[in-house]
Amino acid sequence: MNRALTVARLQFVAWRSVVGWPWGILALSFLINLALFSAMNEADDFEPTTGGLMSIYVVMFVASVNAITQDFPFALGLGVSRRSFYLGNVLNYLGQAISYAAVLYLLAVIEEATDGWGVNLTFFGIPFLLVDNPVLRFLGFAIPFLLLGFIGIAIALVFKRWGVNGLLMLSTVALAGIGGLVVLATWRGWWSAIGGWFVDQPGWALLVGWPALLTLLLAGLSYLTIRRATP
Amino acid sequence: MEDGRPIFLQIAELLENSILDGTLAEEDQVPSTNELAAYHRINPATAAKGVNKLVDDGTLYKKRGIGMFVSSGARAKLRGRRRDEFARQYVRPLLTEARKLGIEPAELKSMIDTWEESR
Amino acid sequence: MSAVVSVTDLTKRYQGVTALDRVSFSLAEHRIHGLLGRNGAGKTTLMQILTAQNFATSGEVSVFGQHPYENEQVLSRISFIKESQTYPSNLRVTHVLRAARLVYSDWDEEFAQRLVDVFQLPLGRNVRKLSRGMLSTLGIVVGLASRAPLTFFDEPYLGLDAVARQLFYDHLLADYTEHPRTIVLSTHLIDEVSDLIEHVLLIDQGRLLLDVEAEALRGQVVTVSGPVAAVDEFARTGSELHRASLGGTARATVRGDFGPAAHDRARSLGLDLEASSLQDIVVRLTTSHNGRAAGSAAAADKEAVR
Repeated sequence: MNRALTVARLQFVAWRSVVGWPWGILALSFLINLALFSAMNEADDFEPTTGGLMSIYVVMFVASVNAITQDFPFALGLGVSRRSFYLGNVLNYLGQAISYAAVLYLLAVIEEATDGWGVNLTFFGIPFLLVDNPVLRFLGFAIPFLLLGFIGIAIALVFKRWGVNGLLMLSTVALAGIGGLVVLATWRGWWSAIGGWFVDQPGWALLVGWPALLTLLLAGLSYLTIRRATP
Repeated sequence: MEDGRPIFLQIAELLENSILDGTLAEEDQVPSTNELAAYHRINPATAAKGVNKLVDDGTLYKKRGIGMFVSSGARAKLRGRRRDEFARQYVRPLLTEARKLGIEPAELKSMIDTWEESR
Repeated sequence: MSAVVSVTDLTKRYQGVTALDRVSFSLAEHRIHGLLGRNGAGKTTLMQILTAQNFATSGEVSVFGQHPYENEQVLSRISFIKESQTYPSNLRVTHVLRAARLVYSDWDEEFAQRLVDVFQLPLGRNVRKLSRGMLSTLGIVVGLASRAPLTFFDEPYLGLDAVARQLFYDHLLADYTEHPRTIVLSTHLIDEVSDLIEHVLLIDQGRLLLDVEAEALRGQVVTVSGPVAAVDEFARTGSELHRASLGGTARATVRGDFGPAAHDRARSLGLDLEASSLQDIVVRLTTSHNGRAAGSAAAADKEAVR
């Protein structure tokens, strides 16, 4: 565990770039939207979500791919075990997800209090998830960080262990699987049932519950994969 | 260091030469193995082996905690040993080469005398 | 002396290629070992397996008495500097050194800074903007300042000129003298390191050809030249590795236990005798047409040397 903490610190030696990229890009996206909304200055009833919030999650995804393709060979070169590297990475993600979600939550609260920064801009708020429970709202910000992080790790690990062919194989299987299910659902006329299931799911399950489950599954599979990966 | 001969022997020889030509006087302190290793850019274990060879044959002796010193009487002893080696190393090949060229031992002796005079 | 590394019947096969073929040896503590061999001989694969970065197909590996795979106790005591090491693209030189300081418990920061000065490494530069030589230097600084009880240097000087290489050898030797540790130096620049290494491992095509003290090897291989009959007679005292003839004269490279007496004998036979350097020996052994024979001779010899 000590060693895992060392790895987490190792990934922060260049903390300026680790923290700078996600927040820099988010800030840029926010400022552009703010400028646009100020210019439009329309007080319509509809509250558009800009989607700019996605940028910080995308950066997180890219960073997690880099963690495997770049940090992994570096850490192993410094005599770190695969287990410690992986645990350190998980600690790192948890830390980032919690602290980043806290900041986003705070910004969302400010956004509401200031009527969308005075120009009716909904940048940090997630309109389709208006849960009142603050814990769930917080998790709604935090879990997607972890999910995207582990999707990045899983994809990068497939590449690391099985190369381009492994990646192609994975996408082929995924496409065939999804395509097959779509065909099956259409043929059997399941779509209304599926739609009904989604509608019946509470918001927290869609944004927190199921992603958390998927995250855990990916985390477990990634751990098994990294144990036999070579840098 | 010279190729093809154990380095520790070469280190021992270098120290012997210093003792023979007086650079290292009797009861003088000998450079440490670490100094020898750094100077000659060789492995310290090898340097130590060279020094130990001279300790074993009594040329050097160890003062605990201080270092290695040249034994008294080492110079005379070395000279005696080197004289024996001289015959093997120089006189024998000289005779072999002379025989190849058909130079008789008597002729060889007079050649040496002539060279000595003209020096 | 206790063995830091011991390897038994280690074999590694990649899709049909045998990179290591039943290799067995052990490395004694606190020595500088030379891991020699041509490019692609299997040196890097061997070190990758010893550091658990790669997996053996079969055979046993023990480092500090344990298997290194996922073994923090073992891995934290190893520093493996390899030519192909990559660094995360967001790091500067100073970040890499800070990372190494976090990981290695014996890290000497003052020494690291001294080496940075000596090699004129630009601390603020991004690793992706370093020249090949600077990247090598960065590896050397990490490898030396980590003071790991077991340190591997795998061709650590790509892109370095002769002056920088000599600086590396001098600092390696000085620091090793003050802080003895087990070092494995993998290289094909044999002449440059032959005086530094105490023990020689020679690998060729995945097989271990030599496992012997460097000093024992010196003078063990000689080249004699002269009349064929005399060369024949001398060659009988050892195993012949190579021969060239011209009319009635011949030149033969012979391996055996040659001391001063052998030199005298060659002289009395009217032969010229020249002792081979470590580099010559390695070249002879790895290009020998009957590679297998040379290999088994080496194996037999290994026993004799011990």
